[in-house]
Amino acid sequence: MRRLAAIIQSIGFATYKEWAAFRSHMAASLLVGPVLFLVQVFIWSAMFEGRETINGLTYSQMLAYYGVATLIHYIAFDFADWNLQMLVRSGKFVTFALRPLPHWLFALSQKIGHRSLALWIEVLPVMALFIFVFGVNLKPASPFWAVISILLSFLMNFIVNYCVGLTAFWLVRAEGVRRVFLLLKDVSAGVFLPLSFFPEVLQKVLFFLPFQFITYLPTRVYIGDYELAGIRLSIEQAVGLQAAAVLLAGAVMLALYGAAMRRFTGVGV
Amino acid sequence: MKGIIHCLGAVLRTKLAEQMAYRSHFILSVLLLVAGDLVVPFVTLLIYSSGASFPGWAMHEALLIQGVFALAKGIAFPFFFGMVGTTLHHVREGTFDLLLLRPRPVMLMAMLTGFDPDDFGRLFSGAVIFGFALSGMSQPVLGAWLQFGLLFIASIAILCAVSLFLSGMLFRWVGSSRVFDIFDAVTSFGMYPGTIFAKSLQNLLTYVLPVGLIAFVPASALLGRSGLEALWALVPVSLFLLLSVYYWNRMLRGYTSAGG
Repeated sequence: MRRLAAIIQSIGFATYKEWAAFRSHMAASLLVGPVLFLVQVFIWSAMFEGRETINGLTYSQMLAYYGVATLIHYIAFDFADWNLQMLVRSGKFVTFALRPLPHWLFALSQKIGHRSLALWIEVLPVMALFIFVFGVNLKPASPFWAVISILLSFLMNFIVNYCVGLTAFWLVRAEGVRRVFLLLKDVSAGVFLPLSFFPEVLQKVLFFLPFQFITYLPTRVYIGDYELAGIRLSIEQAVGLQAAAVLLAGAVMLALYGAAMRRFTGVGV
Repeated sequence: MKGIIHCLGAVLRTKLAEQMAYRSHFILSVLLLVAGDLVVPFVTLLIYSSGASFPGWAMHEALLIQGVFALAKGIAFPFFFGMVGTTLHHVREGTFDLLLLRPRPVMLMAMLTGFDPDDFGRLFSGAVIFGFALSGMSQPVLGAWLQFGLLFIASIAILCAVSLFLSGMLFRWVGSSRVFDIFDAVTSFGMYPGTIFAKSLQNLLTYVLPVGLIAFVPASALLGRSGLEALWALVPVSLFLLLSVYYWNRMLRGYTSAGG
């Protein structure tokens, strides 16, 4: 276990140092995040004109939703899908297949390093801008459960993206599938609009899909109130459901990974 | 002009042949672009279904703005926006010199090399949203269509200018794919009725950084909400385009390749 932790730490640290050289790329979020948020501020202040609530959310809750969703997006951001597909397509995956470490663990360690850098370049500065410039209330209803939920979202996003990346073992060029899937993922996760705005039937479908656990559920847990498809859960129940979904998705990912390794052929493996 | 058309024809043939080698990928990419462009209108539809609205804007009118935006992208993206990706890739790989060696203007070559037939899919999504929006309102008069036509050309010119700015930036900011995020963020102001923004921001989005002219001003003209004075907006657009051409050439001069 200690050895595993050391491996994760060294891969994570190497990734951290590698990406620190391109920190200006990450810092672009200091412009992108607040600008997109500013548009939301104008949209919703116009929408709330003469209204107290829309779909059960007040104006300040709506802004908090978009603020928290943006921050969770930065914390859980992932490109394991793109990376894995590139490795498979270019044949570079061979070097990973020969290592005494499953590639998914390597990719997860990379993500931990990459997002640790993002924490102080993207997340905290953007959070400060939201609080001090836009006056958004970003105080979590229950800090402990909010942190657990965000960590689970981090894992869920990785698992979902890694599964998308694994399609490269079956498809010659999986870029199109990847992009379609990621768009559906963002819509179904509540990145563009809280899922409670969707028609009732769609909400019921979305409740059983893994995507709500990436953005919608952790955001609602952060705000302190969860409801989807008419199902209202306490914060503890919501996080419990999220943990169960992450475990299930993790098992699916490992099964897919095993199948992909059996299918993979390369020079020397 | 004849030479440019020949070059464009050759590039079109090559790019299509290239895409046909991965047909399923090509079809999926086109479908993705169509789906991607439908996301914001879908969100608008859901918001209006919940009873909320942009004050003074019916749902079809709001959708018209987003339809014009998608249509403008459907024309501007295949021809101009590919140069952003081309510059990003070639400068990072150190192969931009190959474009410098060709016997045509470098800007033209960067645009032609970046030509992307996938992006024509946006025309379809744009036409669907535009048609749907028009079906829910009284038909515009001929004068409104003429004014819209002129402003729509301006809208394409703005997207071309933005492509030049982003592409030029990549000569210095090597390999940063975040320029696409910057584009999405800055142009997101143009997808909604300009009246929801503060007056000072509206002026900024019309005369300084004219993203409001991409869709809001042309759609307003079609709806008969703006008079002939809206055509004054063509002046800042021309200046913006000229500035972008100057900026791109200026940044190109700073390109050092591997020679330092």
